[in-house]
Amino acid sequence: MRALAMLCVPVILAAGWASFPAAAQDPTQGNAQGDLAVTIYNGGQALVQDIRQINFPGGRTRQEFPDVSAQIRPQTVSFAAEGTAIVEQNFDYDLLSPNALMQKAVGETVTLLRINPATGAETRERAKVLAVNGGVVLQIGPRIEILRDDGLPVRVIFDKIPPNLRAKPTLSITVDSKNAGTRPATLSYLTNGLGWSADYVSLYDEKAGTIDVQGWVTLSNSTGTTFDNAKTLLVAGTPSSGGANSYVYRPRPQPPGNLRRAGTETAPREQLGDYYLYPLAERTTIANAQTKQVSFLDVGGVPAQKIYEFTVALFDTMTEPASAASVIKFNTGAKGGGLGDALPAGTVRFYQRDLRGDPQFIGENQIGHTPMGSELGLKTGDAFDVKVKATVVERKQTGSTWRSSMSYLLTNARPQPVTLDLRQRGLDWYWAETKVITESQKSERLDSDGVQWRVTVPANGETTLTATFETRY
Amino acid sequence: MRRIAPLLLILAASPAAAQSVVTSAAPDKVAVSVFRDPNRDEGGEIDRDWLNGFALISETRSIDLPAGEVRLRFEGVAEGMVAVSAIVTGLPGGVVQKNRDAALLSPASLLDGSLGNRVHLRRTDRATGKVSEEEAIIRSGPEGAVILQTPAGYESLRCTGLPESLIYDGVPAGLTAKPTLSVTTRSPTAQRATVTLTYLSTGFDWASNYVARVGPDGKTLDLFAWLTVANSNGESFADANMSVLAGTLNIEQDFDELVALPPQPQLNLTCFPLGSGRDGVPPPPPPPPPAPGGYAEESDGDNIVVTAQRRAMLQSVPVAISVVSTAELEDLGDLKLYRVPFPVTVAAHGQKQVALLIKDRVPFETVYRYRTDPEDETFATPSEILLRMQNKEAARLGVPLPSGQVAVFEQAQGRELLAGEGMMRDHAVGEKVDLVIGESNQVLVTVENYAPPKRREEDHRVVVTNANPFAVTLEIGFEVDDTGKLAPRLRKLPRKDGLPTWTVRVPGNATRTLEYLNPKED
Repeated sequence: MRALAMLCVPVILAAGWASFPAAAQDPTQGNAQGDLAVTIYNGGQALVQDIRQINFPGGRTRQEFPDVSAQIRPQTVSFAAEGTAIVEQNFDYDLLSPNALMQKAVGETVTLLRINPATGAETRERAKVLAVNGGVVLQIGPRIEILRDDGLPVRVIFDKIPPNLRAKPTLSITVDSKNAGTRPATLSYLTNGLGWSADYVSLYDEKAGTIDVQGWVTLSNSTGTTFDNAKTLLVAGTPSSGGANSYVYRPRPQPPGNLRRAGTETAPREQLGDYYLYPLAERTTIANAQTKQVSFLDVGGVPAQKIYEFTVALFDTMTEPASAASVIKFNTGAKGGGLGDALPAGTVRFYQRDLRGDPQFIGENQIGHTPMGSELGLKTGDAFDVKVKATVVERKQTGSTWRSSMSYLLTNARPQPVTLDLRQRGLDWYWAETKVITESQKSERLDSDGVQWRVTVPANGETTLTATFETRY
Repeated sequence: MRRIAPLLLILAASPAAAQSVVTSAAPDKVAVSVFRDPNRDEGGEIDRDWLNGFALISETRSIDLPAGEVRLRFEGVAEGMVAVSAIVTGLPGGVVQKNRDAALLSPASLLDGSLGNRVHLRRTDRATGKVSEEEAIIRSGPEGAVILQTPAGYESLRCTGLPESLIYDGVPAGLTAKPTLSVTTRSPTAQRATVTLTYLSTGFDWASNYVARVGPDGKTLDLFAWLTVANSNGESFADANMSVLAGTLNIEQDFDELVALPPQPQLNLTCFPLGSGRDGVPPPPPPPPPAPGGYAEESDGDNIVVTAQRRAMLQSVPVAISVVSTAELEDLGDLKLYRVPFPVTVAAHGQKQVALLIKDRVPFETVYRYRTDPEDETFATPSEILLRMQNKEAARLGVPLPSGQVAVFEQAQGRELLAGEGMMRDHAVGEKVDLVIGESNQVLVTVENYAPPKRREEDHRVVVTNANPFAVTLEIGFEVDDTGKLAPRLRKLPRKDGLPTWTVRVPGNATRTLEYLNPKED
């Protein structure tokens, strides 16, 4: 028996080999993508349009589409080709694995190739898979056996792979074609894992009071798929995330935010509805696991002003001074020598040259989509040398009135005078009304909750500001 | 011949084939500016196991560029590079695009990228040692690994109990050993360019560590500060221009997240159940090693200089610390930049210390401090001991003092002893420095609601006791919200740090008392 089996082996091998090259038709050899156009939105979502040349036979056929994004949202697929009508569309994700293959082989016959560990001799027999439940139960002729129960080497050779088991999730579309022939077919779909934001490099010149701004679009691809030679368009916005804004709870932002005044100018860029478009000049390959940056903005000498800001939240005594925020303010308008562009949302990193002339990093901040003509005030950090210490000098109640006398000590260890916007908040308590009774310098009421003084602190010096507040309830 | 075909196809499919690739292996010159962990508390120390600061690295590279479109790859950059922050200047043709490619070569990506390709299945006979090789085609992705098509039919890899291995003909296009930064540029002519690459990198941190040694007079101290820099990157930066920055920067993004790799294919070798199932399904393979950057190897501790030096200092005879030079200070906007005046090597997985500042015979006073609400009671509570200095030139100081830990040493019994430890916050020039270095069980504070007969309950008495043989100065600050309800006696007290403060000189082995009457509650 064994001799016979041994004899059989080469014959079967040879027979298998003859059919082998035909089976090696490879769906992933090369790239099945056609003419790609990718539109990328901010929220990690992209629209892919893939125009492929497909040779449709006449009548009903099933077309598979390999090399679509691995994070395709199959429910968003649309397909169009001349002279074809869609019958159905399938997205199959029953993945091929040894276990899946064995499960699907229940009731089928497989080949067992036993290898004698002592001699290396091979024995071949056919076995029927009865069940796969915590172990594979096989029927070999009249015997019932458990696969590899003795731990000895056995090769299990399956005759075929069931058609619905695949290496990767696969999109297929069954179409009815009027006539045979090659023609372009447009496949378009939304995918996750492909998004973009902006990165700004902003070199601040303190002496000149200017910034040089370079803007980069940064697109990142974590779809698991490479998009070859794609026409790429970036949209500054996320059309899908909308919904009705009126239902969104928006807490009152604690002013000041980064956007100090919203602009009313229109940037000289292409628009899609309310969104600005940033097309890439050339076709580009967006490789999987790649972060790609392309320049879209380069403006020099934009006037920028540094200001210090400090907010005292409540009427509390500080036992130690605290640093004021250093804020760089600039305008994005074209009028009045601003930056002159709308800015897509992203991160602004500020640099400043040291005494040797090398740029050093001085802090970063984030901006939302900013219309042209806006005023931005971006905090870069806390000043080492400019500090504020607030003291409650007196705070007492008379009848239904609270009176709070505050004293603010502003110190500046810099060799230049600085301007500091000092804010006192905590004036609006819903049921109580607070106003300034006396102050050593005229304040500006920001809103119901706060007042602000713009104070100049002399070089290597200090300034004391006092104010008395009255709260009635 | 048949074997070579797939490889050629792979090469042709490579996007790099259209343009030439120039690799810059290492920088000629490098400058490293290190920033503190932005979230570290004032006076905190470096966490060597997880460095949370970052650095701005500026590298100068000489690169020979051919004419036309070139993809310029940068090697030898820090693992913790935040690629989106990279700035490349000095390219005559400018930057068309910057790319960070992070599809890494791994067993899983090799399998994934070879899906549908011909590979070789090698089997070794355990008995005879005979090696046999046959061609196979990969039919499953890495998640459901591995189904092979062999001349015999369809088989699973590693389910047979035989020594089996896959051999590939080539590496699929686009896979790299490490995340790689490259820029595309178009040079008008072939030329040598001096290119500057500037980027932020995680895996750095620095701190200042102060050593204060009290002089024999007990009235002055010698202040010395180490600048300690640590690097958990796998790259060393030789002969670097190093500087560190003090101050607080606004940081919005999580740099570690930006450095982290995008999801990579995971190889999951599974089998159908084997045997009777008594051994269960084999466990999944261990997870891949964590992304590089930000994580110091466990091997730290043996190459660290600080501890040794500190210990040495503890035991040394008091000789004044002398250093060749200290870091040079300059203002950078609202930050303080300390430049190490000589080139240094910032070693991979290493820590380095240089002198930050040195100030001799700084006058100080020792003050005891206690803070309380005027209505609170307490019994024999220790007071804080603090060293008070004026950060002014007239008081032999007058330099920015970046936040850090302070160790105070004093002479006793002919040797130097640790007298206390504290945290220093950022102090600008001109500020008062109150350095809390411990608490005293000799100078105790009792606040009692002493109510002798016929007296109201709100009567309070502060009793301070000094068990030292020498006189001490004690400051008791009263934390007040409603000054209208403050005892008239406390209202008259002068303010210190914003609080009405009773300053009292308590002679050696003596007691002092303050009584006050809180107005009656409504």
